[in-house]
Amino acid sequence: MIEQDAEVFDLGYQRYTGPREGRNRARLALFENGVRTVLGIGRGGRAKILPALLFFAVMIPAVVFVIILSFVGEAGEGFIPGPADYYGVVGVVLIIFSAIMAPELLGPDRRDNVLPLYLVRPLTSTDYILARFLAFFAIALALVYAGQLVLQVGLILTADSQIDYIRDNWGDALRILFVGVLVALFISIAPMAVAAFTTRRAYAAAFVIAVWLLSTSVTNSPLVTENCTIQTTDSQGNVTSFEMTVAPGTEDRPTEGVVREGGRTITTECSRPTGDWAPYIGLLDAGSVTDNISVMVFDTEPEGPSMVAVDELHNAWAIGAYLAFTGLPALLLWNRYRRIRL
Amino acid sequence: MARRICYAKDMTALLEARDLTKHYGRTVALDGVSFDVGEGVTALLGPNGAGKSTAMKLFLGLIQPTSGTASILGEEPYRSVDVRSRIGYMPEHESLPKSMTASEFLMHMAQVSGIPPGQARTRAADALRHVGLDEERYRPMGEYSTGMKQRVKLAQAIVHDPVLALLDEPTAGLDPEGRLEMLSLISRTANAFGISVMISTHLMGDVERTADSVIVLESGTLAQQGAVAKLTEETETLLIEVADRLEEFAAALAGRGVQARGNGPLLVVEQAREDDYDLIRDAAVESGARLRRLSPERRDLTDIFRSRPE
Repeated sequence: MIEQDAEVFDLGYQRYTGPREGRNRARLALFENGVRTVLGIGRGGRAKILPALLFFAVMIPAVVFVIILSFVGEAGEGFIPGPADYYGVVGVVLIIFSAIMAPELLGPDRRDNVLPLYLVRPLTSTDYILARFLAFFAIALALVYAGQLVLQVGLILTADSQIDYIRDNWGDALRILFVGVLVALFISIAPMAVAAFTTRRAYAAAFVIAVWLLSTSVTNSPLVTENCTIQTTDSQGNVTSFEMTVAPGTEDRPTEGVVREGGRTITTECSRPTGDWAPYIGLLDAGSVTDNISVMVFDTEPEGPSMVAVDELHNAWAIGAYLAFTGLPALLLWNRYRRIRL
Repeated sequence: MARRICYAKDMTALLEARDLTKHYGRTVALDGVSFDVGEGVTALLGPNGAGKSTAMKLFLGLIQPTSGTASILGEEPYRSVDVRSRIGYMPEHESLPKSMTASEFLMHMAQVSGIPPGQARTRAADALRHVGLDEERYRPMGEYSTGMKQRVKLAQAIVHDPVLALLDEPTAGLDPEGRLEMLSLISRTANAFGISVMISTHLMGDVERTADSVIVLESGTLAQQGAVAKLTEETETLLIEVADRLEEFAAALAGRGVQARGNGPLLVVEQAREDDYDLIRDAAVESGARLRRLSPERRDLTDIFRSRPE
């Protein structure tokens, strides 16, 4: 009897007759792949460490706020951090997150030369960069909202009456969501634009953080602060004087003018080297760009020198600064990919 | 090539170049080239810098022509985004994301070509099986050998079942064995899968092994074009080699009115006619020369290059 060997049948090549969803499927695939790339999904353990660390770093301010709340409770009226404060504090952590993760998303496609494979498919370079950007923005927004959610839950749980708290504050929900979008947009777009110009992650991240530090240092620089000279003349005619720098919004800012008490004459003069330009220079502070908007939306008092300085200006200026800080990088990013040479 | 594809005469060409010109600054990469590409395997042959890659990129819509048109499946790819779901492209250089596995990458690329996720998974597995990638498909592609990378690059070019795949120097960087495997994969893609293929290459052997027709580019201009079978067909020249008595044999030939000229150990009869075979046989018998070879000369593509006027 002849022994029959097992046989492997090659089914051969099958032509594809299923649906072809064209450009929209392509955009969606790029978006999903972008989210996976940033989060390190399907990329082995090491790729997940960095996003996980940064996620916890973003959560820390929210958790710290909740811990403070649980000790202070509603008793600390005026001291309790609110949703606007959270957005103010978490900004710097978020920008570090973006600075490091944006090159992770854009770098490999250019470094490994994958772009030509995308651009011969039903996609344009604008589709490509928009899908990649939206993926990054979605993650930034999720982070911003996640922190805010932790904080809100903390606020509700530590309130004396949960029902009352929710009833009194539900009107803030839309504001929180709206400002969240603005914050996420702001922190994601500039780092993406920087990442579009180098394939080296370290360079891109260092550049973003350096510009951020430089920009936020405007606040306490002589460009915004005032120089006050306080001159004391005693009854014998001896003159002593000292100088101090005063940041905008400082509560114990010396009052200008001449005061006579006892035999002494105290003359106080303050001047800003940049004169009336100071509020405009304050607009350059990237650290308070979203805070300035937040002040408008939540109708709170500005905190911090550059915010106080900017508060002197019409609201349109702060809105303009926000649009500039997001619009210019967006243009750069789009233009960079539109003109990319393959 | 055993296979012959017949097309209707009025069928539109898959690719059409009309006065196609591309300048890069002052450099002229392509200079008013016109040709059509039909079904089967077409080779774009030429030395480095002849304009092969430029032509491919123009057909793919990666770059815009300076003048003239490059159309693919009847559309201009630079304007029509949708036509690109029916084209595949394998670039010459490395172009695979190092940190992704081949399996994940192929599934992703199928979706970017417009195929829904469920079907994309099946297509990805099939494409990788066809190029012969097994367990390696679950390893990051950064760890692959050149041969494996070339296979994945081919797989991603056909994963969405295109009408036409453009393969830029598919055998570049492969060892002789890898090269033969790649060439047989390309033949299979066209013959068994029914995907028409255009390859660019500077190697004559690649063309002879795979291509049905060839377009020869040189310095950005069209040097030659036609069916490979036609270009390598038998000529009317007869080559004769005898083991001994060469002079007697030549004299016997001359006596019978056959014009033969000496070419080293060979005698060459140009413009041979049907009855020359009999006359040559008779001359051999008369002179007692032992006939070692009597064959029509067959051109190869190398000769086509040589015989072309400079």
